[in-house]
Amino acid sequence: MKEKEIEIFRKLNGQLEGLYDEMSALSKKTPTDAINKFKLKFVNQLLLEINALLNDEYKPFTEFIKFEEDDLPTNSDVVLMLSQYLNCMEKLRDDNIALDDEGDWCWVINKKMSDIQTSPPKKI
Amino acid sequence: MLIRPRLNDAYNLPFTQEEVDFAIPFLDEDLPLSVDPFLLWKSPSQQDNALNTLVTNSFNHLGRLFLQGKEKVAIDMLIKASECYEVGLGDSRKRRGRPIGVNTAKSIFALYKDIPQINKAGFVHFEEIQLFVDNISKDRISDITCSFIKSHLIDYTIFQSKKLGIPRVKIKDVTVYDYKTNVFLKEDVDLPCNPDDGQPVILVPRRWLRYTPWINYDDYYAKYFIGKAALDNIKVSTRIELLDYNRHNYDIVQAYTGIKELKRQDCKNDPLFEPIPILSANKKFLTIKKLPTGKTGNADRAYEDNICQLMASLLYPQLDFAAVQSRTESGVLIRDLVFYNNNSHSFLKDIYDRFNCRQIVFELKNVKTIEREHINQLNRYLNDQFGNFGIIVTRNPIPNNIFQNTIDLWSGQRKCIIILSDIELALMCQLYKSKQRISLDVIKKKFVEFERACPG
Repeated sequence: MKEKEIEIFRKLNGQLEGLYDEMSALSKKTPTDAINKFKLKFVNQLLLEINALLNDEYKPFTEFIKFEEDDLPTNSDVVLMLSQYLNCMEKLRDDNIALDDEGDWCWVINKKMSDIQTSPPKKI
Repeated sequence: MLIRPRLNDAYNLPFTQEEVDFAIPFLDEDLPLSVDPFLLWKSPSQQDNALNTLVTNSFNHLGRLFLQGKEKVAIDMLIKASECYEVGLGDSRKRRGRPIGVNTAKSIFALYKDIPQINKAGFVHFEEIQLFVDNISKDRISDITCSFIKSHLIDYTIFQSKKLGIPRVKIKDVTVYDYKTNVFLKEDVDLPCNPDDGQPVILVPRRWLRYTPWINYDDYYAKYFIGKAALDNIKVSTRIELLDYNRHNYDIVQAYTGIKELKRQDCKNDPLFEPIPILSANKKFLTIKKLPTGKTGNADRAYEDNICQLMASLLYPQLDFAAVQSRTESGVLIRDLVFYNNNSHSFLKDIYDRFNCRQIVFELKNVKTIEREHINQLNRYLNDQFGNFGIIVTRNPIPNNIFQNTIDLWSGQRKCIIILSDIELALMCQLYKSKQRISLDVIKKKFVEFERACPG
């Protein structure tokens, strides 16, 4: 990965985790309720940006790009897909981090160890 | 041919009842509402108050004419004022009521002679005549009110027509009351009209409309007089006797009117359609779910009744409910729900443009499985009256071969038949409750699924 991509990853991953938490809470309350258009717009916007980062190699499903508004996706549908995306983001991170000499987890940029620290892999 | 066509349907104007300030009139029948002069009296608008004063003064002027010996003039004018067919309000099935007769007019004017308070000061609320004279219905009060303020209503109609693009034509000899000279004049005015018969149409603000006037005989009798009679030991056994009693005891009517004035904050205009509450919608859906398929214990009838009430609310305000219609096909009674399509949503505009769908028909089928014949029945019906779009509401999801049947129908005849089951109904109810999306989106979803399955 490039340094710019790591920056994008950190931003998008934070947003994805936040959205997942919000949608999970909503889904626990009303799993079969349709998500409203306002929320769906931002979910889709985030998914499109993440798709660009993950490429076909890491995308959870090759056929899925974003939710169709006309299909009336439910809260639980959205949570299901967001969790898949979270896992794939973690897989991407896992493949691009390593332990440095001091025992800290750092990003690998262009196959070289960087000094950008990150958390240990979650071992999904 | 449209079912219960309204003014905007006749001219393909894209607005719904919710979006406009006036009650959209039917072209072939009356709207079952009436103008309540009490709403004008209690309105915070000075204009409405002034119009109520105009009506009361004009009515009392006729009373004075009668007392001055100009009986024929007064009677002729009251008869003229007693029917205002252009507004299309009341119970008539043909938008044409009948004016009052000479005897009824005389009975009304007799009040100015018989009741000292009226003789001296006239009426404050002329709708009190319902409590003294037989055969004065709520429509009569409404018509008299509209006749006296018709000039204002014509201006209002012209303003709304310009705003919404409703075509107008020159109508000759429209009877209009002139407040300055207190006579009815004939005027030529530009008004919308029924394109079929050329009859003029006058629009009325929704805020003046109620199903029954605030002051009315039934309310007086049930909520005031019975209690009063028990307390004072008044013996009255028939309606005529009560009307006669009222004429001789005006103070009792005055007391009733006083109470109604004090309760004026409770007097509200009636909405033309009121969606059922969420709780009722859920109850209706649960009732539907428990019903067996078929006709056991009149389940089909209960299914149709519940669906009818539910759908009208679920699809409001995007679709205005038009009518429940029954027809017989191959010896079987079929009930349909018909909605107006006034392009109030992009999906509705789409089906309007592509399928010439000016009214949407929902055919109700409380059967276990939809069969080819059911599809063919709706298809034949679409041919006759509606565009090329229809909906079947049934209990269970359809088998693949029936879905393919609808696709084939599209391929061959470019007709679209969407089928909703209890599953879609549940989703519609859920959306009605959560308000996250509109229930119409469920129909759109089924339409999109249908389109995706269509070849090409």
